Amino acid sequence: MSSNRWLATGNYFTSYEEEQRIFSTSLDRSVMCIFLFILFAWPLFLSVGNKYMLVIDNILVAVIAVIGLNLVTGFAGLISIGHAAFVGIGAYTVASFCRVLGDSHIIITHGWPLMIVVAGFMGALFGAIVGLPALRLKHLYLAIATLSFQMIFQWTINFMNFFDQGQTIPVGRVFWVTGKVARKEHYLFWYYVILVVIVILGFGVRNLLRTRYGRCLVAVRDNDRAADAMGMHPGFVKVYAFGLAGFCAGIAGALHAYLYRGVGIDSFTLHHSINYLAMAIVGGLGTLQGAFWGPLAIRVLDLQVERLSEWTGSHLTAATNLTTALRPLSFGLVIVLFLMFEPRGIANWWRIFRSYVKLWPFRY
Amino acid sequence: MSYFFQLVVSGIVVGSIYALSALGFVLIYKSSRVLNIAHGQIIAAGAFITYALTVWVGIPIYIAFGMSMVITFFLAMSVERIFLRRLIGEPIISVIMVTIGLMSILDGLIYLTPFGTENFSFPPYLPTTPITIGGVSISWTQLVGVIITFSMIAGFSWFFKKSTIGISMRAVSDDQMASMAIGISVPKVFGLAWAMAGLSAAAAGGIIGNITGLNFDTLHAFGIVVFPVVILGGLDSIQGAVVAGIIMGLIQQFASGYLDGNWGLNGTGEVMPYIILLIILLFKPHGLFGIHEIERV
Repeated sequence: MSSNRWLATGNYFTSYEEEQRIFSTSLDRSVMCIFLFILFAWPLFLSVGNKYMLVIDNILVAVIAVIGLNLVTGFAGLISIGHAAFVGIGAYTVASFCRVLGDSHIIITHGWPLMIVVAGFMGALFGAIVGLPALRLKHLYLAIATLSFQMIFQWTINFMNFFDQGQTIPVGRVFWVTGKVARKEHYLFWYYVILVVIVILGFGVRNLLRTRYGRCLVAVRDNDRAADAMGMHPGFVKVYAFGLAGFCAGIAGALHAYLYRGVGIDSFTLHHSINYLAMAIVGGLGTLQGAFWGPLAIRVLDLQVERLSEWTGSHLTAATNLTTALRPLSFGLVIVLFLMFEPRGIANWWRIFRSYVKLWPFRY
Repeated sequence: MSYFFQLVVSGIVVGSIYALSALGFVLIYKSSRVLNIAHGQIIAAGAFITYALTVWVGIPIYIAFGMSMVITFFLAMSVERIFLRRLIGEPIISVIMVTIGLMSILDGLIYLTPFGTENFSFPPYLPTTPITIGGVSISWTQLVGVIITFSMIAGFSWFFKKSTIGISMRAVSDDQMASMAIGISVPKVFGLAWAMAGLSAAAAGGIIGNITGLNFDTLHAFGIVVFPVVILGGLDSIQGAVVAGIIMGLIQQFASGYLDGNWGLNGTGEVMPYIILLIILLFKPHGLFGIHEIERV
């Protein structure tokens, strides 16, 4: 076995423990550390306008949601067309506390880490309830169950006075040890919070996939009868996959609520569910990296589409609703083209690039 | 009491349209095991093509109705040819996700036209005074819609029972290998199933457009309500789709007739199908008429 794995031509693992390690060499570990350090340190050196910080925060919130969707669709192989509804459950958990206690109650402003965790558990609860048909059924039916959950969620929010008929419910400003987080620092503050949550969740999911519970998901996806024969209960595994996805989505929802300082139904419609699905597919289903690439790619595409339609809008007169038209069109095309030509997503390009670098100057 | 019968009549009208929308969905599922999530968009496209041909081109509405069915027939066939043919043999999960992508694409294409945001309605071509029998009234458009729906369903049933192509489609849905062995072209049958689904979707779209007016949200909502209907009826049964469509229409009308306004509820008709769907999935997942070979996991 070569001592430098960046120069090795293959994997020379001699034990299962070696294969299961997160970082196979100390070089990998230090690259990861440097990368994380850069992520945490760059706002200290570069000052970015609030507008761009919001975009970055937005991408990171989507990353959390897509980690959840990737668990259920990528690793467990169950299509979820209602992921935005689970994100909405998290956001509306925070919103309903705001409605009951008032939006600047001490629990909302000081106990926000607790709120985020509570929102996560609410998401997990609803995820498990929607996943219940999995005890008897296969994925086709589950896709329909999640779709109907999306419709029921939208109806509940739209018609209940408690949720203000889907109007925006305000959420108060939060406090940190240094005092109230001011408007100027708001997006920067939440950048760090979301980043910490992503790091925790990312390592959590990565570790989960090394345990028997994580490998259960993949086993059930690949062949549920074989998994059954090996002593797993495929139905429970699926319910539990939905629960995990709901947990991530709930956390993403709570962060979304705090980030925008308000919750409205417009961010949790069927259209957004499809958006999340597009992110998961483009990033690469069944890979953890995919959850990072997908939201980045889709949000960048989104911004470009917006810019394009603004540009054409200034040249054409009758192009008022071009954004509403181009957005679904581009997402749909991206989903279809990726599924047809690169079903393993951007994560696969990264893999190809890595092996190219590793083997250079020899060709694969 | 006449309120009750009024609800029954409108329930049957709505239900028969659900049945016709569900028919196209079941056709695709039956032959190729694909859940077509873009069905509502095809329905909407059919309705808009009918409108464009009648009002913008100036063709009489009956001919336009037929022409739009032919156009959607080829549209759906080309969708199958371009997007789904090359996915034969891929896992079914990616095929379903392709139809989700298709839904988005068709959404975008429809938003490019004026139909995406504005409301239109067909010019009146039938008497506008409704027929009233014993306090129960039904408008002419509804009556004609129901008649067209039932004749189309009858036509499709005949087609599947008696014609050679229909029988070969049933054979493919039963066993692809065996039907290939006796000389049926499976890809052709898939294409044909999509094409006929497009045809029935256009018919449904035309009828809905006549009754409720042309609004994109209403039209593509029909494509989503189809899911509760087909689950109730059993995913692969045509008579199940018909019965379940009418049951679902009745439930919806009764819900919005008796529940709305009481206990602060509103718009229950919209949500009731999905609640029923979740209950059915939990307790009787193969529906009323579906075959019982659902794999338990």
